[in-house]
Amino acid sequence: MWIYEKKLEYPINIKKPDPKLAQLIISQLGGPDGELGASMRYLNQRYSMPYRQVTGVLTDIGTEELAHLEMVATILSQLTRNLTPEEIEKSGFATYFVDHTTGVYPVSAAGVPFDMKYIGVKGDAIADLSEDMAAEQKARVTYDNLIRLIDDPDVCDPIRFLREREVVHYQRFGDALRVVQEQLDARNFYGWNPEFDKVQKK
Amino acid sequence: MNERQKLMQKIQACCFVLTETGLYLDTHPSCRKALRYFEKYRRMRDEAVRQYEQRYGALTYTGADTANGWNWVTEPFPWEA
Repeated sequence: MWIYEKKLEYPINIKKPDPKLAQLIISQLGGPDGELGASMRYLNQRYSMPYRQVTGVLTDIGTEELAHLEMVATILSQLTRNLTPEEIEKSGFATYFVDHTTGVYPVSAAGVPFDMKYIGVKGDAIADLSEDMAAEQKARVTYDNLIRLIDDPDVCDPIRFLREREVVHYQRFGDALRVVQEQLDARNFYGWNPEFDKVQKK
Repeated sequence: MNERQKLMQKIQACCFVLTETGLYLDTHPSCRKALRYFEKYRRMRDEAVRQYEQRYGALTYTGADTANGWNWVTEPFPWEA
């Protein structure tokens, strides 16, 4: 089970509201490569994973993604504090505001609500870990694109931290894939699926 | 039920009391009876967790053994029972 800790993984203290920027950063909450999809992807992939080291990686990264979800939501909440109706209208935030006020609702930058279709659970160790590595890279690119659009260092700093974590997670999933492949037949990695077929132990 | 399962059941029971009482306290923050109840089970939980982690392996990262390798990924996950 999970226990909530009343702290952020990395400090966030944004002084200047910027609803236009919030509307872009929200993609890392509810977009196709966002933190909500990431946590659900890894945590759901765990149950059929037969290697505990890999289950550990999926558990620990999936849990950290929940903390990232909270960080992104914190950025959004701080970027949309104390707004006047004029600021809301001028910034283009009105299209979000009309449905969600300044509440945090998972949508993409284009306003598409979160969809579980963004995530993959194939039940095959190589396919799932390859998907996870791609997912981390796609999230890294989204953060890179956001960094190009952000001027405020108070916003940029935690976004850079989140971007860095994507790189680290990519590395760890790479390790996990290696752990899986070491258990399989190097002449034919696809000879059996260790999540389904009875594997002959090497 | 073996000793490990018994101790786990005690932790589950204590933690559930904390979940339930904590939830009640969220909306009744000055209820002295509930506060005392919470405190009693928190002590019981802390002691049970300490014993469990010493004997059977980590429940969280912070309880992991570092003297004999990283036992976080050697002990079974809960759905493997």
